[in-house]
Parts: sequence; structure tokens; C-alpha cells
Amino acid sequence: MVEFVRFIERSGRSQGRKVGVVHPLALAAMQQTGEMVSQKKGRGSQRFLQGGLSAPITVTWEITAACNIACVHCLSSSGRRRPGELKTEQALALVDELAEMQVFQLHFGGGEPFIYPGIWKVLERCTERGLVMCVSTNGTLITQERARRLKQFEPLYFQVSLDGGTPETNDSIRGKGVFDRALRGLELLAAEGHSLTVNSVLTRYSFSELDRLYEIAMSFDAKLRVTRLRPSGRGQEVWADLHPTREQYQQFTAWLETHPDVLTADSFFHLNAFGNKLAGLDVCGAATATCCICPEGEVYPCAFFQAPEFEAGNLHTESFREIWQNSILFNYYRQMGSGACTGCGQYSACHGGCPATKWFVHQKLNIRDPECVL
Amino acid sequence: MTRIPPQYRLIAEVKIRREAFGGILYKYGCADRGTLSFINSPQLIELLIEGQQQYHGNLSAAIEKRRISEANRQKLYGALDDLAKRGYIEVRLSVR
Repeated sequence: MVEFVRFIERSGRSQGRKVGVVHPLALAAMQQTGEMVSQKKGRGSQRFLQGGLSAPITVTWEITAACNIACVHCLSSSGRRRPGELKTEQALALVDELAEMQVFQLHFGGGEPFIYPGIWKVLERCTERGLVMCVSTNGTLITQERARRLKQFEPLYFQVSLDGGTPETNDSIRGKGVFDRALRGLELLAAEGHSLTVNSVLTRYSFSELDRLYEIAMSFDAKLRVTRLRPSGRGQEVWADLHPTREQYQQFTAWLETHPDVLTADSFFHLNAFGNKLAGLDVCGAATATCCICPEGEVYPCAFFQAPEFEAGNLHTESFREIWQNSILFNYYRQMGSGACTGCGQYSACHGGCPATKWFVHQKLNIRDPECVL
Repeated sequence: MTRIPPQYRLIAEVKIRREAFGGILYKYGCADRGTLSFINSPQLIELLIEGQQQYHGNLSAAIEKRRISEANRQKLYGALDDLAKRGYIEVRLSVR
């Protein structure tokens, strides 16, 4: 505990008003991880990320919870619009603040961003402020008119979700008919020359369709982005059934080596423990390089860690800058130790894996990643 | 035909931010997180920001305007060569 307090003082952020309170369960879980690895001993990206940066590099902004489909693994349990969602004027002020903090890139998700009434104004403001934009969409609401209208914004990238290379696999997760509608969305966006990515959550059932997903992405001149299934939101209910097996992960690692152009959103660093370092960060960037803003202004360490116990602050009561710099939760989060991974020979390869997965599966943080491959 | 020194230009998609340890270079270009580098040299970060803001990305011009020793100049060019390998800088070779 003494070490935690010292770190907060060292970080030079102790002058500001402390933001938020830490839920006792979260506090206990973070403290049980032990002392953080000192910055001198930290390796790779970790030594720069410890303590957090002056601002996030990227921010995931789940701008609405409203969604026209209902994926079984939705990490934010999206469906209906929530009563406290940020109004357009609040959202525009937030864009200004993020730009002033020099955040580099915003990833809009949800829910379905194109249901948010102010999305066009928000994208316009991002363009004016020079923020790089990525919109994660289910693709089903893209029309020719919208695809054309979106050309005025830049730099703007799209990721359209497909959780399988066939209608059977995709629609069992994302809903009946969604596969074909998503492909139509991709087609319309591609016709207007947008920069596209097909985003796919890797599951036990989509694993065998990776090559097909790759082909689909290529057919739209898009990149394929494969991400890790997290047991958050509705994902908690299906994680045990859907998450890939260790053998699949081993084969997936080999597959990535033969497909170096496939993006992985830094989400598979726990697989570095197989022995071959994957491209991207080798450490969790939650609360240090990134964070997540949720529809009702809640700020969490990352998009996968939307647990009420880990809410760092709320934009209805504090500014984003105050939360990023002075949140007590974030300060504790940034000092977590290696927990049960202390002494593991592969710790420097994976840094203990994903805290959110640990929390949602076992309500603990001082344990190995539930998908640890060792 | 005279060989003139190569010109180092910062790529337009590169964003730079100061941090306590020096700064960050970020090159966007897709729907994933972009290419990211942590630079623990404040001097290099200042040069890159100056080149971007005052010389339209022409880092050679930014270096040549600096009153620094030849050794320091060469050190900076060495650092730029490294950033060129990582895709943040374009090196233009020309003859006249």
C-alpha cells in the first residue's frame, strides 16, 4: 500500500483533485497482485507505459448502446439506447478535449455508431480537429447515400464485423441474415473507396474459417483484423463454449506467421508465451495507452473491462482529462504487480495476459490469464 | 552531376507527442492501432516537432538551421535513418 501511494506522488499527478472512488473489490484485487515491476526492470513497451502516458494513444468510444442486432458475445451488452447517453453537444466538447490532449485516434463503437443521432457532427468535428477516426460497424445500416456522404471525413477507417466466414457460423453469433447484410455494407463502402477492415472475433467455431475470412477481406481490398473473445458483457455467458482451445491458439499463432498482413489489435499478446513474439504490443495497454468511454459517460480501463467495479470516473461529473490524470482507480491500475505470474520464465513475453479476462472469469487479478498457454 | 545530400521528410501520417521520457511517434493508416514508437530522446522529439510544424516535414532543413556541432548533427541524421527504416520518414535522394 505504501508503494502504491509513493507511486501516485512520483507520477506528479498528486496535485490534482482525486477523481472517483475505488470499489473495495477492485482495490483488493489490484493490491493482491503485489508490487509493480520497477520501471528500470520493465521490458519492451512496458517501461514506457508504466504510470500511464500524458494522454491515451487511442480511445475506444462506445458512443451508444443502441444496436439493431444482438450478438451473443457483445462485450457491452448492447441493444437499447441508455437514458444517460451523452448528448451531441457533450460529445462534441469531448472531441475537443481529446484533441487538445493530443489523443491520436478514436475508435467509435457501440452499439451501432450509425444509430447515434449526433454521429455525423461528431465525425465532422473529429475531421476539423485532426483526429484519426475508426468506425466499428455491423455494416447493416450502410446505404449508398451514407457511404458517399462519409467520404467527406478523413482520415476515416472502417471495420465491419464478421464472426465467421460462412452465414452459418457468423449468423449463429450475430443474428439471422446478418452475414449477407454485412457483406452488402462492405460492398457499398468499398465502392466508394473507403479504407476497410473486416473485424472478426476468433471463436472455437470460426477458427476453421480463418482462410475464408481472409479471402472475403481480400475481395473487398480490405484487411482482416482478428481479435480475442473476451468474457465481458454478454460474452460472459458464452465464453466457456466459444473461446478457442489451446491447440487452436497454437495453430492460430502459426497461421499469423504466414499471414503477416493480418491485424490483431494487440489482443493476442498472451500467445507470446508459445515462444514466438507476435507483432504489436507485448503488454496490456489498458489505462496506460488506451481506455474506453462508454455511452453514459463511464470511463473504463479498456473496452473489455466494462465492470462497474473498475469505473474510473464519469464524464457527466468530471472531464476526461481529470479522469485520465487523477482517477484513483487508474492510478492503482497502473501499478499492478505480476501476481501469480511472478517468477514465470515467460513473464516478459506476455506480462501476465489480459486483466479483464482474469476478472470476468475468476473475479481475481492475481492469477494467470485463464487462457494462459503454458 | 553533383550528388546533393538526401532530404529527410516526415511522412504526413505521422503524429508526434511529447512525453516525460521523450515522446511518441504514431503512424496511422488502418482501422487498427497504428505503428507506434517510444522515443526516449527529447532532443529528437523536439527536432521532429519543429520539422513538422515549421518546415512542412522537411527534417533536413530543421537540422541545418540548428546551431549544433557536426558530431551532434551526424547523430541526429543517424537517428533519422533509423526512423526511416521504421517507416516514419521518407529519404529523398536526388542529383543535379
